[in-house]
Amino acid sequence: MDERSDRDLVKASCQGDRTAYAGLVRRHYSEVFLVCLGVLGNIHDAEDVAQDAMIKGFERIRQLRQGSQFGGWVIAIARNLSVNLLRSRRPAQKTLGTEAVSHAGPGESAHEDLQWALAQLPRDLRLPLVMYYFDGQNVKAVAEKLDISTSGVYQKLRTAVKELHDILTTQGDTP
Amino acid sequence: MNRPCPDRRDTIADHVLGALDTRQAETLREHLDECSGCREYLASLQEQSESLIDLGREIGGGMAARQERAIEALREVAPAGSQRRATVLFLSGLAKTAAAAVLLLAAGIAIGRWTAPRPVDVERLRADLESSIIASLKPAVQESILAQADQRLLAALSANDAKLRADLGRQVHEDLCLLAAQSRSDSEELVRMKFGELVDLIEAARRTDRQQVAKALDQIRTQTGRGLYTLAIRANDSTTDMRN
Repeated sequence: MDERSDRDLVKASCQGDRTAYAGLVRRHYSEVFLVCLGVLGNIHDAEDVAQDAMIKGFERIRQLRQGSQFGGWVIAIARNLSVNLLRSRRPAQKTLGTEAVSHAGPGESAHEDLQWALAQLPRDLRLPLVMYYFDGQNVKAVAEKLDISTSGVYQKLRTAVKELHDILTTQGDTP
Repeated sequence: MNRPCPDRRDTIADHVLGALDTRQAETLREHLDECSGCREYLASLQEQSESLIDLGREIGGGMAARQERAIEALREVAPAGSQRRATVLFLSGLAKTAAAAVLLLAAGIAIGRWTAPRPVDVERLRADLESSIIASLKPAVQESILAQADQRLLAALSANDAKLRADLGRQVHEDLCLLAAQSRSDSEELVRMKFGELVDLIEAARRTDRQQVAKALDQIRTQTGRGLYTLAIRANDSTTDMRN
């Protein structure tokens, strides 16, 4: 792991230093991927968009005024790319009568069921839920990354937990 | 599965998330002791929570590989400092600068209008302007008048010169005509005189010639008489000889 600060790595990246930018990718990729997964609800799509976000970050690194803000900046890029992908797919989804990103049905294993149920959640509930459970269960950190209050995060998490349970229960009741 | 109490679902979800304080948690625990539906609901949410944490670990397990794939994909991307990107960024910056300039200009106009002084006294302004204009134009007007006077004087002089030239020319022409007429009369007189002299000379020459011709004729006549006489004598002599 590169020991240099984000500011130094960004400064070096602005000069075309790929090694420095690789250090930034290793440091922030996990958060970027989880944001993409939280918005898209699909691991494969999340990986593709997270990769695109990192590439765009490299291409636009000179536009970043403060290197210390790289994490929030690249997460914003990832979030926008994810939302754009959802919007581009929305007409097809409306014809199916659902907003789900994943077109696969519930699987056999518990995790596949859970992934499918996560994909059924509304995006504004799925994102904080994924960030909370997949990245250390820290409500304060989620609130900072999503730029909302801690109580707002708790409210969304509460609703998400209940709705996810309802989805899984309803799916389990389906013959 | 028994259904949970509707008014306890939020509290149970908060308990799973660790959002209840000690008093709220104690109250819930007392209710759970009496409600199987809420106990089952809590157990189900806790199981779901553990599954989510497990899923997170599973996804996190593949994170390093995803990172490396993303870094590998960056190898095909042009460096941040490439010329094309620098040009695009320059143009982008230029556009932003232009937009900022427009905004500043608009703000300046707005501030200027807002802070503009009250309207001035128009009459006084006009009087000041008139005096100022007169003062500023006076030297120029004087200069112009002097220049026009110079031009008129030069024009008058030029006109006089022209008149003088015309009079002189006319006088010269008249003199020349008079001289020509006098010269012609003189030449006619001279010609007439010379012609007379020539006639006289011719007449004298004719008289001389006539005298000379008369003289020559006399000589010829004399000489012819002598010849004829000689011839006659010789002829007579010849005849005499023949007779003899």
